[in-house]
Amino acid sequence: MDTAHLPQSRTMLDKIWAEHVVVPSADGEELMFVDLNLVHEGGTFMAFDQLRAEGRKVRKPNLTLAVTDHYLPSLNRKAGVAAIPNPAIRNVVEWLAQHTREFGIEHIGPDDARQGITHVIAPELGLTQPGLLITCCDSHTATQGALGTLAMPIGQSNQLRHVLATQTLWQKKPRQMRITIDGAPGPHVTAKDIVLAIIARIGIGGASGHAVEYCGSTIRAMSIEARLTICNMSIEAGARIGMVAPDDTTFEYVNGRPHAPHGQDWDAALKYWRTLPSDAGAPFDRELAIDAAALAPMVSWGTSPQDSSPITERVPDPASIAEPEHRRRVERALEYMQLMPGTPLSDIRVNRVFIGSCTNARIEDLRAAAQVARGRRVTVPSIVVPGSTAVKRQAETEGLDRIFIEAGFEWRDSSCSMCGGSNGDIVPRGERSASTTNRNFEGRQGPGAMTHIMSPSMAAAAAITGRLTDVRKLVR
Amino acid sequence: MQPFTTLTAVAAPLEIAKIDTGVIVPGRFMRIRRRPGVTDYADVFLYDLRFDENDRTREEFVLNRPAYKGAGILVTGIDFGCGSSREGAAYAVLDFGVRALVGPGFGDVFVGNCLQNGIVPAVLPLPVIQDLWRQLKETPGSRMTVDLVEQTVVAPDGARYGFAVDPTRKGRLLKGLDDVGVTLEHLAEIEAFEDRYRKRMTWLASKV
Repeated sequence: MDTAHLPQSRTMLDKIWAEHVVVPSADGEELMFVDLNLVHEGGTFMAFDQLRAEGRKVRKPNLTLAVTDHYLPSLNRKAGVAAIPNPAIRNVVEWLAQHTREFGIEHIGPDDARQGITHVIAPELGLTQPGLLITCCDSHTATQGALGTLAMPIGQSNQLRHVLATQTLWQKKPRQMRITIDGAPGPHVTAKDIVLAIIARIGIGGASGHAVEYCGSTIRAMSIEARLTICNMSIEAGARIGMVAPDDTTFEYVNGRPHAPHGQDWDAALKYWRTLPSDAGAPFDRELAIDAAALAPMVSWGTSPQDSSPITERVPDPASIAEPEHRRRVERALEYMQLMPGTPLSDIRVNRVFIGSCTNARIEDLRAAAQVARGRRVTVPSIVVPGSTAVKRQAETEGLDRIFIEAGFEWRDSSCSMCGGSNGDIVPRGERSASTTNRNFEGRQGPGAMTHIMSPSMAAAAAITGRLTDVRKLVR
Repeated sequence: MQPFTTLTAVAAPLEIAKIDTGVIVPGRFMRIRRRPGVTDYADVFLYDLRFDENDRTREEFVLNRPAYKGAGILVTGIDFGCGSSREGAAYAVLDFGVRALVGPGFGDVFVGNCLQNGIVPAVLPLPVIQDLWRQLKETPGSRMTVDLVEQTVVAPDGARYGFAVDPTRKGRLLKGLDDVGVTLEHLAEIEAFEDRYRKRMTWLASKV
């Protein structure tokens, strides 16, 4: 068939990108319109300081929303911000409240019923919609791509200042990579295990310079919450953008949420959203295929998310790695992690467990962890930090809080908490944690802390046994 | 932003792979306000590599060796600046006195932050980087040149290597132009875009 006269097949990214270009460029950065800009307190005070020093205003205050999440205590919240003992942490929380008042920006603060981790509450509130360009000064912004949204991380100061002052962003269109995931995952193989397997396969820089579209039958069968987990860790493969095409699952999820369009607006939006998925035959620069049926629950053993293996395997032996750079890095990782090559992963003992973060603290994650915790007892200090205040309330309605508390978990308030430790919830030096978070870098959960990342049910299993555990053996 | 045209400076080999932005500036230091004209982030740059848990200088760490004092160029390992989007990482590089990074690859968000703060991240193939490390270790204190105009890196032995840079960024870096100022020159186009956008995306019209 002669296709020369037909419109070119376009990817979802091509379509959404084209709708947002204000000043085009053939080969450089283009000026893009930003539909929604999300701000949290971490580091962003620098952007506001700079705007004030320059005498600039926020150009579209109603298109920015601020949320307190990183520095908020997960304990004793009723005591208020004034009770935060560390003045450096208290300052950062107070600065966001001051700056949003000063610049006329809506702020979801510590006491707001809508409070939660930015990437958890934006979809929850219906702010995250297909086809929008959303920026947030946070590397996990791609989380929101799960709804067919072009969600991009920006720098916390200069780039944020630029979006605030202009409602636009200079961006070069990335190359595009399609990751196709097919097959039915086995029991306790979750979205987290799939994305860890992808990162283990392609490496932490494996998708650098690319926007990733996740597709395939496994993705189509997934809930929005699971898709959010997959897209969340795009940056851990080096991709700033990770997306899933919107479908009926997406539309059902968005419909009726507080910020979702309704009535005639809903009909118009839905008509447009249905045009967004990539056209058949649309070109991608790279392709990767994953068989989800072949995967097992994953755990990390090193100091990068790519250092992850099925729980059934052993700590790798650097001596067997031919490439010198890679060998040196694995040697250093095992030294930091205090692990001997060849140790079965399921023999590694942990000192504490954290269930939380924008990767894995939505209601489905808590249900999965509670299913493992039910009727059992933790053997190491373990905490559950819901991804949002709404998730916490929902979990309490379902009785999950009782399950966790009876099993010996601490049931805390929503915060980014022990993922990065900004709020002071850290893993003590020399201790080893099982964590549902996204990063196991050196010192990520605290100086000298050793982190193993995994899914919520795997983390719950580790809490019960006190070591990395194949949840499939614990829960038969 | 300070313009960048060409820089000749002492270069230091930083051979560790995958130094993420949380190592460049540990999270506990991301609470520091940065005052205009003050290098507030110099002290926290690579803090846990430069200092031990009792805040004592790790004498053996490359940037603490006298020969590399005042290094203005770092030759980094793979994926330097991966991880969190904290812009403090770029500030720390800059405040420490480094204006150019030469490495086999950098974190994407970090690259954007560098370019907006007047730091040039130049990507060269890993074998070239390994050769640069070798030269810098053999003759500590050697100087290198990063020339943005010509888009070349000059090794201590005089060899020249070309690197790529986004043309828009290059133009602004050469002149030290601030992004917001450049963008606001397009204000009429932005407003016209928003008018058209409101008509196309009717359900968003009341917000835009």
